[in-house]
Amino acid sequence: MLNRKIQPTVHPIEHIDMVQAEKRLLSNGIPVYFVNAGSQDVVKIDFIFEAGTWFQPANLVASLCNSMLEEGSSNFSAAEIGEKFDFYGAYIQLMADQNYGNFNIISLGKYLPTILEITENMIKHSVFPQYELEVLIDKNKQKFLLENQKVKTLCQKKFTQVMFGEAHPYAITNKIEDFDQVSREMLVEFYQSFYHSGNCRIIAAGQVDESVLALLEAHFGGADWQRNTIETPYYEVSPDPHKFHHVEKANGIQSAVRMGKFWVPKNHPDYHALSVLVTILGGYFGSRLMTNIREEKGYTYGIGSFVLSLKHVSYLIITTEVGNEYIEPTLNEIAIEMKRLQTEPVSENELETVKSYLLGEFLRDFDGPFALAGSFKAINDFDLDYSFYDNYLHVLRNITSEELMRLAQQYLNPEDFYTVVAGSTFPTNLT
Amino acid sequence: MIHFERTKLANGLTVIVHQDKTTPMVAIDVCYNVGSRDEHPDRTGFAHLFEHLMFGGSKHIPSYDEPLQKAGGDNNAFTSNDLTNYYLTLPKNNIETGFWLESDRMLELAFSKSSLEVQRNVVIEEFKQRTLNQPYGDVWALLRQLAYKVHPYQWPTIGREISHIEKATMQQVKDFFFAHYAPDNAVLVVAGDVDFDKVVTLADRWFGPIPNRAVKPRSIPQEPEQTEIREQSVVRDVPNDTIYMAYHMPDRLDPNYYATDLISDVLSNGNSSRMYLNLVQKEKMFTELDAYLSGDNEPGLFVVSGKPSNGISLETARKAIEKELDRMKQERVSEYELEKVKNKVEANIEYSEMNYLNKAMNLATNEILQDADLINSQVDFYRSVTSAQIQEVAQQIFRTENCSVLNYIAKKSEHVES
Repeated sequence: MLNRKIQPTVHPIEHIDMVQAEKRLLSNGIPVYFVNAGSQDVVKIDFIFEAGTWFQPANLVASLCNSMLEEGSSNFSAAEIGEKFDFYGAYIQLMADQNYGNFNIISLGKYLPTILEITENMIKHSVFPQYELEVLIDKNKQKFLLENQKVKTLCQKKFTQVMFGEAHPYAITNKIEDFDQVSREMLVEFYQSFYHSGNCRIIAAGQVDESVLALLEAHFGGADWQRNTIETPYYEVSPDPHKFHHVEKANGIQSAVRMGKFWVPKNHPDYHALSVLVTILGGYFGSRLMTNIREEKGYTYGIGSFVLSLKHVSYLIITTEVGNEYIEPTLNEIAIEMKRLQTEPVSENELETVKSYLLGEFLRDFDGPFALAGSFKAINDFDLDYSFYDNYLHVLRNITSEELMRLAQQYLNPEDFYTVVAGSTFPTNLT
Repeated sequence: MIHFERTKLANGLTVIVHQDKTTPMVAIDVCYNVGSRDEHPDRTGFAHLFEHLMFGGSKHIPSYDEPLQKAGGDNNAFTSNDLTNYYLTLPKNNIETGFWLESDRMLELAFSKSSLEVQRNVVIEEFKQRTLNQPYGDVWALLRQLAYKVHPYQWPTIGREISHIEKATMQQVKDFFFAHYAPDNAVLVVAGDVDFDKVVTLADRWFGPIPNRAVKPRSIPQEPEQTEIREQSVVRDVPNDTIYMAYHMPDRLDPNYYATDLISDVLSNGNSSRMYLNLVQKEKMFTELDAYLSGDNEPGLFVVSGKPSNGISLETARKAIEKELDRMKQERVSEYELEKVKNKVEANIEYSEMNYLNKAMNLATNEILQDADLINSQVDFYRSVTSAQIQEVAQQIFRTENCSVLNYIAKKSEHVES
């Protein structure tokens, strides 16, 4: 007889097949990390340069420089680049983040030789045509204006300013006027300083073999694009003395909320255990914050907490958008949930649930070539190796409620948190 | 090419299995043939609200999420105009938990009063987050209302207005469930390192006892042919004027659907597409310009949306768009250009087949449309489109009287509000 009230036996996840990246070197010293996996004839190659906003001399330089890499090179105009990639069904993904300028390509393996030939010219001999730059700036201006109408954008910007101080490169301080201050010369100079072989690493994922290595060697292995490495600047954070901030956005019916504090880096002994704690707080659908604030109170469509590990600083952040009438109740409930984690041990049942969930997530993070490459980058960015994941699994399988409560007492004190609310309603009780 | 096997249980549930041995996970997708097109005009947003209620506990299982998480699983769902799709992934050893959960909520929901109350509120906040508090958030609501006068595609999935969600009663929830949630109105797809016989055994055990509910075939009023251009202008607090032009187009099973899709690619897919190259890059008339299909199963919309550059009026913008559309009508696309967009479609299909969950979802939604095997014919359908056919289809679609224009005008900050 079928008993629908009882869950079928759950089998613990014991075996995890972690395909590891294999390190190779091009003749000029560029490290190439191979993640050979997958059944489709697809290859993704990431060219990663230390060329993020950390290194930029003025706002927008890192991202505009990065975007301009597909706007023309010595052998191909912007239109020709677009034409070639479209014809072969290949994609370029350009993204500059806080630390890295990324140039990623995705291509069917059979077209890789052609795609890499164009890619070589784009990366090594970008020409930054003035006309294309103007078009790009106009496009980005409009996007900027649009983004600035969203409470979540306003909130995130203010949050980074409060946490890092406006002079710090991790603070987002872009203004519309900045678009008029960027010159082609600034971008060219940035390009020459940061997009060269001495500042590059490559991650290749998919069906990659020796022939792909040979292609990379032929196109990128030479001494022809080595330039002087710029000394890395260092910036100290300078957080705002006030913990609560409000950003005015007229007529909004919802407000965005960001609450956060500085966090331990990936190599800290508490990092993994804290990941479990942050998951319990707000890192999955069954988390405390989702259960209380969405599933019991209905104040929001979604709320979550996660750790953002950047190269030089890490922080924990809680994000949500709530109806204006729910701002104060939401902030109160967040504090209550932190206090609960500090004073009541997590039940065996909940701990079991979150451990199983995270093990499942771990399997997903190592499933398929792109996921494998992402998991590798997440350690490689921090000069860590795969023992990071072994340690994580060890902590995940062995962590106790007592340990979590101790960590909550140390790391989850509501009074340590910075709170930013963006919206039309000023929560007067909270200043 | 995606190999799969298919069977139907006695109660009418279609079961599809795709074996992918490269993943340690398994995806289970349950797709119900019910979407916002099946809603009453005074109770819009119901199919989507219902999707939320499906997570509020079922007849024998008080919580959906917790047991799934205990088995290392993760899940989500979405509602469209056409269907409601629930999907989860699990380590393959724990596949049976997925069957247990999904079958119980197909059997019957808990219909808890508190769940209805809370999820109503959650959906109202979602409504605000996605539409009311979002720049350009009401575009689809306006555009659908303009383009459809009869067909239920005239309202968006989230609903026409918040009051419809506020007024939802438990009786309506129950009626909706028994009218649409049934084995004979659903498809179960399992993808991963599993074999067909084992899945069928599990499906029989867990889904087999659910009664067939004799779901009535839908009868939806068809949209009469549009005979004159429709135009609406709204003023909103947004940074830029934007123009939207929507043309009625063929349904998903019409052979011309694929030609229509390729037209949108010729016009705006990628940096070498016509509209991007000519109007964004060369003429600098737009900072953003896109052409895309609504992707509905029944006759949908071909939409062009554009943000004109500073100093370009919406009227000038519209003329420029019409000029590109006219070119599609007057000249055949070159063989090279056609080859290019077909290559891209083919590559995209290859990319999409890298992921077992993607494959499960595609099999399920195609089976709801008509036949899961459609996904394996796609490449041939696209490959067989000719430049003559593209021209013909462009002539059929891009007619002034077939068009609905939405002028979305930015409120100027210097204007004083009355």
